[in-house]
Amino acid sequence: MRNLFNFLYKNSFFFLFLILEIIAFLLIFANNSYQRSAFISASNGVTSSFLSAVTDATDYFSLKVENEILAKENASLRSELIESNLWHGDSVIMHSDSLKNQFYTFTEARIINNNFQNRNNYLVLNKGSVDGIEAEMGVISPGGVVGIVNQVSKHFSSVISILHNKSAIDAKIVSNGYTGTTHWQGGDYTMGLLNNIPSHAVLKLGDTVVTSGNSTIFPPEISIGVIKDFSLKPGENFYSVDIRYSVDYNKISHVYIVHNLYKEELLKIREGEEDEK
Amino acid sequence: MKSKLVFIIVLRFILLILAQVFIFNKINLGGYLNPMVYLMFILLLPFEIPKNLVLVISFVLGLSIDLFTGSIGLHAGAATFMAFMRPLSFRLISSGRDFESGILPGIGDLGYVWFISYTLFLTFFHQLFYFTFESFSFSDIGIMIFRIIINTLLTTILIVLIDLLFKPQVKRK
Repeated sequence: MRNLFNFLYKNSFFFLFLILEIIAFLLIFANNSYQRSAFISASNGVTSSFLSAVTDATDYFSLKVENEILAKENASLRSELIESNLWHGDSVIMHSDSLKNQFYTFTEARIINNNFQNRNNYLVLNKGSVDGIEAEMGVISPGGVVGIVNQVSKHFSSVISILHNKSAIDAKIVSNGYTGTTHWQGGDYTMGLLNNIPSHAVLKLGDTVVTSGNSTIFPPEISIGVIKDFSLKPGENFYSVDIRYSVDYNKISHVYIVHNLYKEELLKIREGEEDEK
Repeated sequence: MKSKLVFIIVLRFILLILAQVFIFNKINLGGYLNPMVYLMFILLLPFEIPKNLVLVISFVLGLSIDLFTGSIGLHAGAATFMAFMRPLSFRLISSGRDFESGILPGIGDLGYVWFISYTLFLTFFHQLFYFTFESFSFSDIGIMIFRIIINTLLTTILIVLIDLLFKPQVKRK
């Protein structure tokens, strides 16, 4: 027994190193749902208030650009109002409230922690369960898709960025309507991949890629990016398409969280499909 | 004298974490560069501090950075690994000679060649650990190696520059 203690004492440096590394690895690999949310709520106390304070200050630097973006968005929203459409005559009926059910509502949120240089990136937003945010909600910015809500604490939520190994967003090419899935292959944070576009589709450089609306998470026609390059390997049935994201993920600060008001109904009917299989 | 040193170390701990989180984590060129200047804290710890204590301090330092960046355990593991390699770096770079008491690691006391090779050596091991477990796949190993090398160099340059800036202006006989 004494020998054992002697041995442990002599090599205490190595064993201490081992123990600390094991703790670190447990933290790294237990990095799913529960631990992550526990970690977020734990870091809420100190770091979030810190990060909020700094974001408060640094927000002023980008105030001008943000104002322009918001003003542009206001203009485009205003043009969709019924009053605006009165001038166009026929479109009034289409936009009339009594005939159109509201499908989505949006919650404005601010990013208090933004990552984009890792392989798997997360964002932290200043809205949480108190504001009605739930997991699996979409997050968009005025420029396009940002990510999907992953974990929610009382006042904050963590978002899986589009710049993540697991991000897969249903996309559509505007010009020809073909749908596929976007992924991020790591490295350059301005570029992504679009898969599952069949080889007989006609593609053009610069074509816009938007969300397809096939999922319950994002509304249709939210911009994702433009086609930068595409190639078809011999023997393959699907293109591999490079897209340039329409949002500069380095710069975003204000986002909208999407609530799909019919989500449960949609999920229910999809479950029905599953059951029949 | 002793309490003054402890005060300086605690102050350095806080300032380097703040600088890392709010300045150096915002520096990004093409999403590849992310200098980790907070490692300077481990590099500049006095030789007299027991190496077990250095391990624990490094772990806490890494965990504090993790808390801000949301990369749970990643910085903690990498910083601990770096602290583990520290005694080895003394043996390799100083070829076993003992340091007189009162000498601190840094350009001021030990010169450029020593400090640069010491920083390069330890930063490399930190970055190796960090990027290996950050991507956790060898599918894009080219990008990974590129990031390790470029970040090691950038971090070393920044740490040496900062050490020069804060070098005490006094004597050296």
